[in-house]
Amino acid sequence: MSPSPATIPPSTEVPLFNERNYLNDKAGVWSWLTTVDHKRIGVMYLVLTTIAFALGGLFAMLIRIELLTPGPTIMSAATYNRMFTLHGVIMIFLFMIPAIPNIFGNFFLPIMIGARDVAFPRLNLASVYIYLLGAGVALYGMIHGGADTGWTFYVPYSTTTATKVVPILLGAFILGMSSIVTGINFIATVHTLRAPGLGWMKLPLFVWSIYATAIIQVLATPVLGITLLLVAVEAGLGFGIFDPARGGDPILFQHLFWFYSHPAVYIMILPAMAVISEVVCTFARKNMFGYKAVAFSSLGIAFVGFFTWGHHLFTSGQSTLDAGVFGVLSMFVGIFTAIKVFNWTATLYKGSVAFRTPFAYFCGFLFFLVFGGMTGIALATVSLDVHWQDTYFVVAHFHFIMVGGTIMAYLAALHYWWPKMFGRTYPEGWGLVSAVLIILGFNATFIPQFLLGNMGMPRRYYSYPPEFWPLNVASTAGSTLLAFGFGIILIYLLISLKHGALAGPNPWHSRGFEWITLSPPPADNFGPVNPVYIHQPHDYQHPEPGPVPAPGPEVPHAS
Amino acid sequence: MRAEARVAAEAHLAHHFPNLEQQAHAARLGMWLFLATEILLFGGLFVAYGVYRFLYADTFKAASTLIETHWGALNTVVLISSSLTVALAHHEAEHGSMKKAGLLLLVSVAAGAVFLGVKSIEYGHHFHEGHLPGRFYTYAGLQAPGASMFWTLYFLMTGLHGLHVIIGMGVLGLFGVLCLRGKFNEGYSTPVELGGLYWHLVDLIWIFLFPLFYLI
Amino acid sequence: MAMAHVPSAEEERASRRIPTSRYYIVWIALLALTAITILVARMHLGHGFGLVVALLIAITKGSLVALFFMHLWDHGGANRLVLVTSLFFLCLLLGITLLDNASRFPLTNPPNTETLRWSPPGPDILSPGVGAHGTSSRHEPPREHAPQEQQ
Repeated sequence: MSPSPATIPPSTEVPLFNERNYLNDKAGVWSWLTTVDHKRIGVMYLVLTTIAFALGGLFAMLIRIELLTPGPTIMSAATYNRMFTLHGVIMIFLFMIPAIPNIFGNFFLPIMIGARDVAFPRLNLASVYIYLLGAGVALYGMIHGGADTGWTFYVPYSTTTATKVVPILLGAFILGMSSIVTGINFIATVHTLRAPGLGWMKLPLFVWSIYATAIIQVLATPVLGITLLLVAVEAGLGFGIFDPARGGDPILFQHLFWFYSHPAVYIMILPAMAVISEVVCTFARKNMFGYKAVAFSSLGIAFVGFFTWGHHLFTSGQSTLDAGVFGVLSMFVGIFTAIKVFNWTATLYKGSVAFRTPFAYFCGFLFFLVFGGMTGIALATVSLDVHWQDTYFVVAHFHFIMVGGTIMAYLAALHYWWPKMFGRTYPEGWGLVSAVLIILGFNATFIPQFLLGNMGMPRRYYSYPPEFWPLNVASTAGSTLLAFGFGIILIYLLISLKHGALAGPNPWHSRGFEWITLSPPPADNFGPVNPVYIHQPHDYQHPEPGPVPAPGPEVPHAS
Repeated sequence: MRAEARVAAEAHLAHHFPNLEQQAHAARLGMWLFLATEILLFGGLFVAYGVYRFLYADTFKAASTLIETHWGALNTVVLISSSLTVALAHHEAEHGSMKKAGLLLLVSVAAGAVFLGVKSIEYGHHFHEGHLPGRFYTYAGLQAPGASMFWTLYFLMTGLHGLHVIIGMGVLGLFGVLCLRGKFNEGYSTPVELGGLYWHLVDLIWIFLFPLFYLI
Repeated sequence: MAMAHVPSAEEERASRRIPTSRYYIVWIALLALTAITILVARMHLGHGFGLVVALLIAITKGSLVALFFMHLWDHGGANRLVLVTSLFFLCLLLGITLLDNASRFPLTNPPNTETLRWSPPGPDILSPGVGAHGTSSRHEPPREHAPQEQQ
């Protein structure tokens, strides 16, 4: 994966900070608005998704403050319904689905496979504008009162509510198109732009998981699109496709909705697993244990994830036959996740572990993925789900996976790749402090919710009986800690852009493929020399020194 | 391929692709992925159709007798023939006959217009008779549960299909004009190929819509 | 920057002249299949065979379009996989959703018009003025399955 040893120059020739990089390549706002550089697009998504996360997080804090007391605290019931709806819509469609693929996938997928850009750069730019359009339409709906249906838009309420559900549905539809475009781009890129010598079995595991994510995005999102469109048409025009009075079946909506929305959670977790595979190898300084197993388990999760949607309908009125089928099929996803967890853990064994901030987030991720995942398997048991459905147990389960899993991995990615993206390191001490705050805050927020759910507190309820009061207070306290942690991260990362220590091309001494470029990368990723791939990614077994960027003569290759 | 054609085609080569063949291969794959999303988009509606036909089999059978088969048959012949002209257009473009390709594409656009014309005649008839979706259904001749659902599905599916016909006409028309203006050559006819793939998908969807609404 | 590209065998095949007669033959076949499907529909085959035959003919026509007009016959390992995969998942969605409606307790299926006519089992404990054992009409054994009007 590095140029042959003979062409590696002495390290003094490699600049600590690449002066002519993608950030200052062309100046001016217009150059950013019309860029087709995948790295700039990644940075734009970083800014946009951070804003979305802040907005969704604001709604979350408002929800938790409202739940501080059993009765009304700071808002009316109608407002509360809008709060949890918008929290869900923003967090899922504006942050969780796009964040890791569109930021880190866009930035690093081409670099990792030795390409100069994604397959369709202009389409990539279009995806940013489609995202903005979708966000704008949804925001319009929010400003005009928002929806109160929950992010799941169940009929018949969503088709009969007086709230502004149609703009939010259309906004989500447009955001889905952005997701589809990204998925198409990534699949085509991995198929057609791999550098010579880079076969499928040499791909970084990050690429494998992003590829699997893209497959789900392409296959599942259109079904969500048509479903939301049907609800909008029924709400706006009264066509009655789900209306029982016209012969419609509300359960049909749920089938169609969850056919997307269950694979959607794998769109959210697979990129997280992609990041973790990279982080584990780097910080254990070991080859991935069971490379093929981890690679194929990504495809396995993508595939099996499509067979399980009915576990969201266990208590809705689908047939018991279907419930049984889905209950069994839902168990299989656990197998592929377990394969990954075992392989990551085995990679750590006899590794040389450097406990840095990304590794701290990996530890949090592992703990939360395993426990959140096990509660998922428990929920997939029909008889248990009858008790837990629509309680805080489910809420805690998916927050364990989404916040404890994906967001931990997102923060790991942010810290791991920050030096590469911006050429500067963040302050490690503050990194560890905020990681601890976030992990503790997370536990304090969501473990009480498991207990609440098991005790029977329903989700999406504005008021609750007094016996649930103490645990709700605990949960709100934890969420404040979480918010603090995120705030600290934002501050020190922004400060590090100007005042952080210069990173150099490979501060982690990683043998991941992306570390061969300069920090920050030049506009064309590699300079004049195309990288040549000899070894596996994260190959710490061969004795040659770690990869350094080496501008030298073009190395002839064999196709 | 002629040397001038390759030179002219090279102008379309993007910086990140090693050669034109690779770029065309990627474009084709990207288009097929997009077509997969269209299949699943319509797929949601086909699932709704499947469920409601299962639940209201007799009512749907009765309702489909109210649709005139000859219009649907004509439209099927029109679309299949337009698929032929599009395939021939791509063939001609690949072998450098840009004028023939452009004209064939414009013929395909005309076929699309005929299709839409027939559909508007049909829609007019249905509006007149009260064969309308959901709460607008007023046809007294069939008032069983699920009757209005047939028409809801009919208008949603043929409407979405018609929207795709309009988009396809725009795309083919644009590329037809560009062909005639000599913007493409045998080294670079990817847009014609991709536009053609889109049109073939529109035809494919109609191949399934026709029997499901008109025949059974 | 350009790297040498050796065309694969697949690309060599694709660039050889495909005779236009192939397209015309497929077109005639499609028209013929259209005629056949209309004629078969007029025959009103019973027991759901009409739907099956119509779908089989549609699948055949679709395959001809996909293979020859869309060139899947000539090139595309990945392209074929994309089409087949999307169709597979569409069939999965359709199949399991239909299985739901087909295997539900019949009264819970739309249009739910029979629900009000069905008597639940056991004594009527909810109506006021009725004793614990209810009136005689409530002791009728409940019908196991509501009459299927729609099937």
